[in-house]
Amino acid sequence: MKQQIEKLTASCIRQIKAASTRKVLTDIKVGVLGKSGELTALLRNLKDLPCEQRPEAGKLVNEAREKLEAAFAEKFEVLHKEEVAAKLASERIDITIDRPYHDVGCLHPLNKVKNEIVDFFVSLGFIVTDSPEIETDYYNFEALNTPADHPARDVQDTFYINDHILLRSQTSTGQIRTMEKVKPPIKMISPGRVYRADDLDATHSPMFHQIEGLVVDKHITMCDLKGILDMFAKHFFDEKCKTRFRPSYFPFTEPSVEVDVSCNHCHGSGCRVCKGTGWIEILGAGMVNRNVLTNCGINPDEYTGFAFGMGLERITNIIYKTDMRAIFENDIRFLKQFK
Amino acid sequence: MKVPILWLNDYVQVDDVPVKELSDKLVGVGFEVEEIIYTGEGIENVVVGKILDIKKHPDANKLQICMVDVGKEITTIVTGADNISVGDFIPVALDGAKLPDGKEIHSAPLRGVMSYGMMCSGSELKIDDSVIEGAEVNGILILPDTFDIGTDIKDALGLNQYILDIAVTANRADCQSIYGIAREVGAVLGRKVKSPALKYKTEPASISLPDLAVENFDLCPRYTARLITDVNIAQSPKWICDRLKLAGLHPINNVVDITNFVLLEIGQPLHAFDLRQIDRGIRVRTAFENEKIVALDEKEYTLNPSMLVIADNSKPLAIAGVMGGQYSGIASDTTTVLLEAAKFARGSIRATSRALGLRSDSSARYERGVDWSSVDVGRERALALFCQLKVGKIADAAAQCETKAPTVKVITTSAKQISDLLGIEIKAAAIVKILKALGFTVTQNEKKLSVEVPLFREDVENYTDLTEEVIRYYGYDNIQSTFLESAKPTVGGLTQRQKNIDSLKTLLCAYGLYEAATYSFINEKQYDLLKIEKDSDLRKTIGIRNPLSVEYAVMRTQLIGSMLKAVNNNTSRKNNDLKLFEVSKTFIPGELPIENLPREDETLCICLVGENHDFYELKEIVLQLLAKFDVKYKICYGNRPYLHSGICAEIMTEIGSLGYFGKLHPEVAENFSVPENTYVCEITLESFIDAKKRDKQYIPLPKFPAVNRDLAFIVEDKYPVGELIAEIQTAGGERCSDISLFDIYKGSQISEGYKSVAFSFKIQPENKTLTDDEIQAIVNRIIEAMQNKFSAKLRLQ
Repeated sequence: MKQQIEKLTASCIRQIKAASTRKVLTDIKVGVLGKSGELTALLRNLKDLPCEQRPEAGKLVNEAREKLEAAFAEKFEVLHKEEVAAKLASERIDITIDRPYHDVGCLHPLNKVKNEIVDFFVSLGFIVTDSPEIETDYYNFEALNTPADHPARDVQDTFYINDHILLRSQTSTGQIRTMEKVKPPIKMISPGRVYRADDLDATHSPMFHQIEGLVVDKHITMCDLKGILDMFAKHFFDEKCKTRFRPSYFPFTEPSVEVDVSCNHCHGSGCRVCKGTGWIEILGAGMVNRNVLTNCGINPDEYTGFAFGMGLERITNIIYKTDMRAIFENDIRFLKQFK
Repeated sequence: MKVPILWLNDYVQVDDVPVKELSDKLVGVGFEVEEIIYTGEGIENVVVGKILDIKKHPDANKLQICMVDVGKEITTIVTGADNISVGDFIPVALDGAKLPDGKEIHSAPLRGVMSYGMMCSGSELKIDDSVIEGAEVNGILILPDTFDIGTDIKDALGLNQYILDIAVTANRADCQSIYGIAREVGAVLGRKVKSPALKYKTEPASISLPDLAVENFDLCPRYTARLITDVNIAQSPKWICDRLKLAGLHPINNVVDITNFVLLEIGQPLHAFDLRQIDRGIRVRTAFENEKIVALDEKEYTLNPSMLVIADNSKPLAIAGVMGGQYSGIASDTTTVLLEAAKFARGSIRATSRALGLRSDSSARYERGVDWSSVDVGRERALALFCQLKVGKIADAAAQCETKAPTVKVITTSAKQISDLLGIEIKAAAIVKILKALGFTVTQNEKKLSVEVPLFREDVENYTDLTEEVIRYYGYDNIQSTFLESAKPTVGGLTQRQKNIDSLKTLLCAYGLYEAATYSFINEKQYDLLKIEKDSDLRKTIGIRNPLSVEYAVMRTQLIGSMLKAVNNNTSRKNNDLKLFEVSKTFIPGELPIENLPREDETLCICLVGENHDFYELKEIVLQLLAKFDVKYKICYGNRPYLHSGICAEIMTEIGSLGYFGKLHPEVAENFSVPENTYVCEITLESFIDAKKRDKQYIPLPKFPAVNRDLAFIVEDKYPVGELIAEIQTAGGERCSDISLFDIYKGSQISEGYKSVAFSFKIQPENKTLTDDEIQAIVNRIIEAMQNKFSAKLRLQ
């Protein structure tokens, strides 16, 4: 009996070692330890032994069983690892291949820049208003202190529909439309399309976009205008960006200024972008003209305000070094550059 | 406006100030210097030389060897020119010289003979006959023998002049002249400004002035006239000609030159009439309907009663303030001149000049505004010049016709009021000093400042104008940054519409579309290219009265045409795979021609181009978009002239059609030269873009698992899948959800005219797990309904 067990154990261990898959191993295990396995048969045969030999034989069988089960478990573990490794190795792929992917589009650069500007002013409590592109002479000129005989009308060559309806030449119309509806305190910006009779070239287009800004409250000063534009320039260009006021003239502001920012390209040392001056003109601004406030039913002795207007294409061109033609051409290779 | 430093220096000393410094200072006080022009630009090391000897070149027929005295030496120059002779004075470009076209001259052998320079033509120096007679001759420029040998040619020809090209802002009509700029320069440099010389001698009039009558003082508040007799028409002296030329005008004769000179110097337009041509009186009146006049530009203009003319008793003599008539102009035999100095209403001149398409230096100044006092200064200055240049005798008789002179404006303000607007404190003394330098009279009474505005400053109306005067001289660099210290906090933000448009764009970008930007005005021909019917509302466009070209002539009522132009821009460059969108306005008039502002409808256009795209991709995008805004819609077959009749869907809602999408009509694709495989969608956003998305109520998740079922039917081909799905939904009831087509098949095993359609759907139990029988009952209901409605045969279950 003892010999029989040892022989069976040794033979089984050999088979375990030789087993190459878990399936083979399972078969071996069933053949030895299963219900009708060889070792199980030996255990079953114990009843045929004399009583006094039974405990000893039983112990031997159980010892053999434990030994074999441990060997099976160990081998199972080895084979499992080998099989997982083999599976992973066999499933290796070429990760450098691209399948035709789902492209994600993007906004037009003008609107990207517009959104950035809008976000800045919204964060400071500015409302954002829309106003008509086809406007009356009143909103585009009269109410903005530019009566019919005013020489400033010639500076902008305006597209007319008839004697009193025109394509707005400036988003300043939004100042009037807002002040008619909203009373101070007012903080608003108004982006939109404007139209002037300029032929398309690198810096002009008969249609372009502006963003108008307006603040009206008690005791608003020119220093406040400077402060907000300084902050805008630093936020929008970079921390070191400076602003400069130059005297200018707009009928609807008094005093009026042109606002330059230090060149973001050369940081003031002079380059091609800033034509060697170190400064780039980005917008016109000023203190809201008293007549404009009066026209909107706001008492100019009680309230003061400032307004500013910037060209979106101009700012886009400064940031992205684009030009007017590319902006309105809609070449997909251009549009894809602004993700 | 061109301001020669030479001329400016007549009124304020500037010749000792570097031009760049002067320019920067002017910019600092609000006068943009667009360009500093140097008349000798690009010319270096060119001197006056004299030809001493000319010999033939031994080895070249067409070349000559000249010995030239260039002052410090006598040098050899080989030339191909043939208009020279010994003794001629000529410009010589010496070794290392530079010419305006960028060319550099170096000593070099010509056919074996060293040439140490080059003789120059007028064109090589970029000068014409206005600089010196003979400059336009084809050949070497022969100089007068009075020139000093060896002198720099720029000094010899007066090409060492600087001119400031200044852009004067629209409010500063008073600075449209040399004298006006001189006043500002005087203030900015702190230097004294000379007054114009106005003295002259008069003689008793031998001829009487014509009667003068102004019929319309609104259009002509002031008209004055003087006579100059015994006129001798001649050339103007050099100093007058030089100044006119530097300012960009050609000298004509002494009388005309004086009027032009005063126009530039004082800013007062003048007009000189030949008295012989004036039929008795001068009438300043509006023109008659269709009255005609031939102006000095030799063109005939047809006038109307909105225009002002200077007329005599029988005919118009001039278009007031714009241009004189040819007939009454100064001729070589003019002996008596009637000199006009007047003030015309700027709006009238502007309108007349626009209507006639006729602009002149005179109209340009009147449009900006000529002030009351400048009429006198200009006239007197001209008379002084007539006297000084001995052009003729100034008759002592004067005629004038005018309304009441304007009263001097007095503005009461204070240092505090000015400081408060600026946000920085400026002391009264500083304010007074600045205003006085600019010609204002200021009296201080305790804290009040009483400021008298000079007549030439018609633009100054109130304290804010004075504030501007103060700060532009005090310096904008003194403005500090503060941050709305006294302003009340406000709630800002985008409107719901703006937010919705942004989120719509985000969705479209996620679908791989790129945003385009196209012009709002289009060529009306687009409607033909789009095959739009003649009576379609789309053709009711708003036309621009003064378009740049037909390409930008009407405001668009649809975006598709512009989008297809953008597509063509791409496909013509072989960018053949495109997904584009634009959100922009369409302009819908209430009536034509419009009397009221039109509707401006926010509109979306989507376009997919290329072999990789199809109708269903476009449809997916459109439906996702509608779902985003909770739009309740029905997709129907539609009809749009620019879309393929079999691949055209219309989005119907309770309030009507929102728009169409589909494949482009092949003829339209051809018309726009875009690929046939182009899919477009245009939707009006107005009905839902303002909608505020309500916070949704949470629906509890089902507690029992849903059962998936598939059904395949064979139906006649004519039934659209959409109708089949709708029927399954109706028959299946509310338990039935997520019905989708997963296969459609035509071909073998399916009879001609039929198709196999397979659907999957879910059945969702409400409060218990459904038994097989209960599920089958629902499925059977569906099968039965499909049989009844479409004679559908069940193929697979």
